[in-house]
Amino acid sequence: MIGRPMQLASRTYDVADVWAAQELYHANGWTDGLPIVPPTRDAVAACLDWAMMEPQQLVGIEPVRGVAITAEKLAINAIMAGCLPMHFPVVLTAFTAMLRTEFLLHGATASTGGCAVLIILNGPIRLEIGASGTFNTLGNSDRATAVIGRAIRLALINILEVRPGGIDRSTLGHPGKFTFCVAEDEENTTWAPLSVHRGLPPEVSAVTVMAAGAPRQIMNEWTTKPEEILETFAAEMRANMRHYSIWAGNYAIVVPQQLREHLQTAGWSKSDVAAFIFERARIHRREWADAGKGAVVRDRGDTVYGALESPDQLLVVAAGGPAGGFGAIIPPWLGHKSHAVTEAIGVCIDCEPPKA
Amino acid sequence: MQLQVLDPTNEAIPPFGELAPRLNSLAGKTVGLISNGKEGTKGFFAHLDRMLRDDHGVANVITRVKSNYSAPADPHIVAEIAGWDAVVSGLGD
Amino acid sequence: MHDAITAERLKVPAIGVMTTRFVSAAELMSRVLGMPGYPFAVIPHPVSSATDDGLREMAAIAIGEVKRLLLRL
Repeated sequence: MIGRPMQLASRTYDVADVWAAQELYHANGWTDGLPIVPPTRDAVAACLDWAMMEPQQLVGIEPVRGVAITAEKLAINAIMAGCLPMHFPVVLTAFTAMLRTEFLLHGATASTGGCAVLIILNGPIRLEIGASGTFNTLGNSDRATAVIGRAIRLALINILEVRPGGIDRSTLGHPGKFTFCVAEDEENTTWAPLSVHRGLPPEVSAVTVMAAGAPRQIMNEWTTKPEEILETFAAEMRANMRHYSIWAGNYAIVVPQQLREHLQTAGWSKSDVAAFIFERARIHRREWADAGKGAVVRDRGDTVYGALESPDQLLVVAAGGPAGGFGAIIPPWLGHKSHAVTEAIGVCIDCEPPKA
Repeated sequence: MQLQVLDPTNEAIPPFGELAPRLNSLAGKTVGLISNGKEGTKGFFAHLDRMLRDDHGVANVITRVKSNYSAPADPHIVAEIAGWDAVVSGLGD
Repeated sequence: MHDAITAERLKVPAIGVMTTRFVSAAELMSRVLGMPGYPFAVIPHPVSSATDDGLREMAAIAIGEVKRLLLRL
């Protein structure tokens, strides 16, 4: 702890016990429907101490509404989500990335389209906080990814009023809106981490955020040829373009170990994968008519649309359990309206935590 | 055990804004239409444009389409607003 | 809603047009943007699949609201 009591600005409430705390937070619309960890002064101060941040320090300003996001408010929501202090720098970095103008946070979180913020972790911090990128990676795989993703959602609900029926106008939403955080399985791949492909040096811990639709699972365990494996991913992207949205943007593909090994054995890098998908994930506008959308084909039926504006728009993520010829594509919320953002986790992550 | 817990919401109150003065008449005025460009808005604003001119004597109707319908208007559109007498924006659909 | 309130802050009278399904969103946005109770026009939902006749009727509704909300009484 730092040598003086931390001055927190938030209003406080006295409650009889942990159950009364639950009822207070539910009654005020301050949770996602699940129980929360009561955010006490000590717990919040410990988060801020770990990240070496003052309570009133600005994490950033929400660009559309000009709302200032303070470290204190983010820490309160992180504690509520179940974060330990060591998880907090990841939450801070993810939120900083989401506040970048190109992420279009307000649009992405308010839209009827109902996306979630997908958070992808890279670098040594994954191992330090016990984030796993193997079994059930798009489900509940481990404590760290579960609470980090939830912290982001609770912060959106409470700090930016992104509640269903409030700022959040999602028609459907998807289960990832409870928590949607994936650690890349850097140990079981020869591929470079996503963060390196996104321009950061190796061994730097990083967070990538993407305004993401629900994952669409594919399966092809009957081939070892890279072209055939990737054609299945591309076909699912083409389906998304026909059935959901034709617009190009950041797609993510999650490639678990079984299919990944076939690609790696054949010498395919992530860049090779992206180059192939870039060429193959394309449809003619006329294909919209096959999906009941003939009304908007108009005279542009022969125009070709790509799922990606360039190969580097594809986020290739090595993650998933060791067995199974599965994979997933994660479509963008709305084409290139929102851009994925990659941010290095603050320098202090490599510092010793403050001594008690 | 008694607990003291913290408010997780943004407690800051946004700066209060005031309405601009209203107009005496639409006749002879310049009205800016800011469209988010979503499907259907083109037809809606075309009708609005015609009605403003033909039925209400509006002198100029200037239509601007945002580059991103989920974001605030582009800075170059905002820069034009001060030169207009009134604005109609939409559609929230 | 944001664009209309931006215009008001620039001292240019404005009106936002919302469909019925976005009324509560518009009310919330006007509050968080510092203009609680800011009036706006409401037209039927949805616009994206409306016919041209439907769009004309919606425009007529909006015109009525433009006169009511942009002109001095």
